[in-house]
This record gives sequence, C-alpha cells and structure tokens, in this order.
Amino acid sequence: MPKNTLSCKEATRLLLEDEDHEISAADRIALQVHVKICFMCQRFVSQLNLMRRATQAWRKHGESDVDDTP
Amino acid sequence: MSDFATQVEQLRPQLLRFARTQLRNDAWAEDAVSECTLAALERPHAFAGQSQLKTWLVGILKHKVVDQLRRHTREATILVGEDGEDVDEALFAPDGHWREAPGDWGDPDAACNQRQFFEVLEACCEKLPPVQARVFMMREWLEIESDEICRELRITPSNLWVLLHRARLRLRDCLQLRWFDGAAAEA
Repeated sequence: MPKNTLSCKEATRLLLEDEDHEISAADRIALQVHVKICFMCQRFVSQLNLMRRATQAWRKHGESDVDDTP
Repeated sequence: MSDFATQVEQLRPQLLRFARTQLRNDAWAEDAVSECTLAALERPHAFAGQSQLKTWLVGILKHKVVDQLRRHTREATILVGEDGEDVDEALFAPDGHWREAPGDWGDPDAACNQRQFFEVLEACCEKLPPVQARVFMMREWLEIESDEICRELRITPSNLWVLLHRARLRLRDCLQLRWFDGAAAEA
C-alpha cells in the first residue's frame, strides 16, 4: 500500500470525525480516494448513513409518537 | 384543566423513560420529569395545542435534563475513566484493515420504518458505557453543540471526539448483532 493512502482504520476514524465536525480538505480528499476503492469502507459509510437517518427519525419518533406505552 | 393534568400525568412513564436513557440515574430522571410536569402544569396556556402534547412536554423535558446535567456535572465527569476499552482494537487488525467486512445493512428506509428497530436502537444506547451514552444523547438527542457539551462536562474537544467515536462504533456493533443479524436470520 502506498504511503500516502489511508488504512481502513484511519478512514473510519475520519468518517466518524466527520459526523461531528468538519474535517480538513486534505483529509477529505484522502478519504474520498480511499472509500472509492475500498468496498468495506463503502459499507461502513452506508452504515453511518443509516445510523444518522435513524437517530434523526428517533428524535422525532420520541417527540411525536404517543402510542408506545407497554 | 384537570383534564390537562391527567393527560400530562399519563405521559409521565414515557417522559421518565427518556430522562432515564439520557441521565442514567433514576433520581435525576425523576427530578427532571417532576420539574418538567410542574412547569407544564403551571402554564397550561403555553401549550397552544399546535403540536402534540408529548412533543411540547419533551421540549420542556430537554431543558430540565440539561439542568440536571449542569447540576451534577462533577458526578458526570468522574465517569470518564470508565470508558477504557479500545473498540478499534476489536475491529481492526494491526495493519489497519477491517478484521471482518462491515455488514450490508440494506435500504435505510426498511429499518427506519419499523418501530421495533427504534426499540433496539434505544436498547443499544442504554447498553453504552455511561459517559459515552451521555455524550451521544446530548449530541444526538438533545442536539447540544459540541463546545457546550465540553463546557458542561468539563472535558476537552478531543475527549469528546473519542467518546463519540467509541459510542458510534459500539452502537454499530450492537445494531449489527441485535437487529441486522437477527433480521437476516428471520428472512
């Protein structure tokens, strides 16, 4: 693996960081390059997207859904 | 009016559940919910009826939960030492490759349209180590800005990123185990 490419572990760290705050432009480019060629990290990206969607929906679910008493 | 009080009281168990998930402390949760219902009953006219009663109450509850966190900041921060485990270690080989390929979770709508999925998500949040759960809920559910969370819990931004990083990885594992593996087995 060339020295300037990210490992999956590093890519994952950046993807998680990006959930919370803007990562640097250089990191973003390195990340895009990695994800383009790595199907495992593509899967991880999909998982993060689902989790993001889910927590957004959950927030609303918790606030608008009355009928969830046991 | 007494009808309003009854409706508020009926929502108490749900409010308590949310407060507990967030605060991880029954006494604090009770206090937050009591303050919330008290505030609601003191000004029923503030509830304009445009939104659902629960939506309105949860809006108040969020503030009360944050108040509790402020009040108990010291106790909250002491817990930081608990989250020692390295989640990355379990996921990645020493060369930085995934030990196991992340699962295919399919169409997000398929999961997000099912009530049971959210029950699992909530259960997974409850299983997080206390501080991870707290910062994750503050960030995602209470939508508090990162710098405010750091201030409230007296942690550094890098502490916060580490906690959120671990929380998300743990949640991912838990969802894989308790939802996606199970769903695949049923199919």
